[in-house]
Amino acid sequence: MSYKLPDKLRTTVVGSYPYFPEALKAFQLRRRGDRGLEYESLVREATRKAIMDYLEAGIDILADGEQRREDMAVFFAEELEGFEISEPVRIFDNVYFRKPVIVGKITWRREILVDDWRYASSLTAGRPMKVTITGPYTMYSWSFDKFYGDMRRAILDMAEAFRREIEALVKAGATFIQIDEPALSTRAEKRDVLIAGEAFEIMLGGLSNVKRITHICYGRMERLFPEILDFPIDQYDFETKNRNYELLDVLKEYSFDKELALGVIDVHTSRIETVEEIMDGIAKGLELLPPEKLYVKPDCGLKRLKRETALAKLRNMVEAARRAREELA
Amino acid sequence: MRLHAGICGSFPRPPELRRAFDDLSEGRISEGEFGRILANSIRDVVKLQERAGMSIVTSGLLSWHDLFRPFTMRLEGLEAGRLIRFFDNNFYYRCPTITGKIRWRGPITLEEIQEVRGAARGLVKAIIPGPFTFLKLSENRFYASEDELLDDLIEALRAEVGALKSSADLIQVDEPSLVDPELGRSERLRGVDIVNEFLSKLDVPGDEVIVATYFNLDPERYAMILDLQAGLHVDLKSTPAEADQALKEHGFDGPILSLGIIDSRSIYPIDPREVVYHVKTYLDYISPDILVFSTSSWLDYIPYNEAVRRLDALGRVLAEAEVRFI
Repeated sequence: MSYKLPDKLRTTVVGSYPYFPEALKAFQLRRRGDRGLEYESLVREATRKAIMDYLEAGIDILADGEQRREDMAVFFAEELEGFEISEPVRIFDNVYFRKPVIVGKITWRREILVDDWRYASSLTAGRPMKVTITGPYTMYSWSFDKFYGDMRRAILDMAEAFRREIEALVKAGATFIQIDEPALSTRAEKRDVLIAGEAFEIMLGGLSNVKRITHICYGRMERLFPEILDFPIDQYDFETKNRNYELLDVLKEYSFDKELALGVIDVHTSRIETVEEIMDGIAKGLELLPPEKLYVKPDCGLKRLKRETALAKLRNMVEAARRAREELA
Repeated sequence: MRLHAGICGSFPRPPELRRAFDDLSEGRISEGEFGRILANSIRDVVKLQERAGMSIVTSGLLSWHDLFRPFTMRLEGLEAGRLIRFFDNNFYYRCPTITGKIRWRGPITLEEIQEVRGAARGLVKAIIPGPFTFLKLSENRFYASEDELLDDLIEALRAEVGALKSSADLIQVDEPSLVDPELGRSERLRGVDIVNEFLSKLDVPGDEVIVATYFNLDPERYAMILDLQAGLHVDLKSTPAEADQALKEHGFDGPILSLGIIDSRSIYPIDPREVVYHVKTYLDYISPDILVFSTSSWLDYIPYNEAVRRLDALGRVLAEAEVRFI
């Protein structure tokens, strides 16, 4: 079954979706070290439900909702060689989380996402299924390093490991590969951006017939420019709605002409944006780029929202893109 | 030059205290039971510090949710607001939101300092947020004039120091905003003036007060904070090359210098001899009456078990330095 993507203002998602009860139960099993048939069945059911919601909303380019990932860094750390998981660390008040700990050379040891991607792709009614990978800069920033003592070496080793994974995904047929680097904008030091650039070159350099995407959000994103524009990236996926589209002025300043996935939904509020409000956001994006290069999506992953809220927001987003396309026609 | 060792501020909550916080909020234990667990935990953390060789101890700030929380909860005119990232850490504080006239209603942290005093053999350090950082990281919804806000804030913090001074040997005033790279020169100068004004109002000798800066030290910022009329804590691990240059360019000849030489945000293994060797390279440039070996900032950024290891490393640094420096 094939699906014809619109040629303008395609809609997509960043990745995560509110966890279904099956996913929460799967996390409990995983924490106990049980990854047997019941665990797999729960993850698959949660994934299926997430994809059904994306389809119901009418999203063009899907993701699997990351129902297998309780934490975007810990998930990959558990799959790569060279990591352990720490004791709890406080994040605020009396809320704790566990962080990956780098304890040895980081290497790829087995396929991480290929089976999930195949399964998710079988449910999309022909729509493309994007793969999301937590980038090595973010993995390093959100980990403790007990082994390297050298950020660059650790990040580049991680990039090599992810290159193996990406090659396996491309071989399996994945055509949309997204590297999530939310930590990159936290410090946004030039030295760090350059290291991230080397990592992107390792992960995505020379890949053909693949849409290479990076998602970055919440921080000093303006400080990533212009170096970030030299990354081997076809599509930049940014959080823009949350800060009233101010980032578009920065993009204008640098004559941005690549594809832009424009955040038009604030994922930190339960308020449902109206179709008109989202269309206003899209109009701002169209002042920068032609509609063929503009993708419409939420600012970030949706996992912090209630399912009903997330779905309602996506429905309005898809409707806004549809009406904007009509207006353009 | 006398040598000491002590952590910069907080220590991670022991597992039983973490559980007690959850139990209290879920109503499974009473305030009284929670208070007993907290007091036990403070005593345990004091003993842990002393066993590791610390000559200066803190309460571990075990009851503090963040730098401001005890103050936002107990000063009049303040509320705990939205969560905000604390500098570049994956750690968040609730923004002190100023909704009325700020007034000190009574001792805020005295009880925990008395708990430390009762358990400690060495010097006891109390910690308060400094007025400049408090101002920069809070949200003002009440005062029309920033000067008026500062007057009240400084008075409230002064009153707290007044309550603490008989139980604490050292007062640490946390001012990470003084070295915030986002600040311009004039704002930083103003910050130094504000902190100096606050210090001038304290009825505590200058060699019993330490202004703690952490994260982002560089030579220019360091030169500016040298004008502070108190001892100084500096973070040598967040920006190590710049901090190294800062100390070597501008030296230090005040009463107390606390060197944050154990990275409190990393768990990378430490060789105490290497640390001491490194600090030795500063001795041609610095001449404080008291040199304190410390963690670079609070220890909340790492797990409890790793903080215990770092504490042990800090103790070994002091022991090694006592042999090599004298």
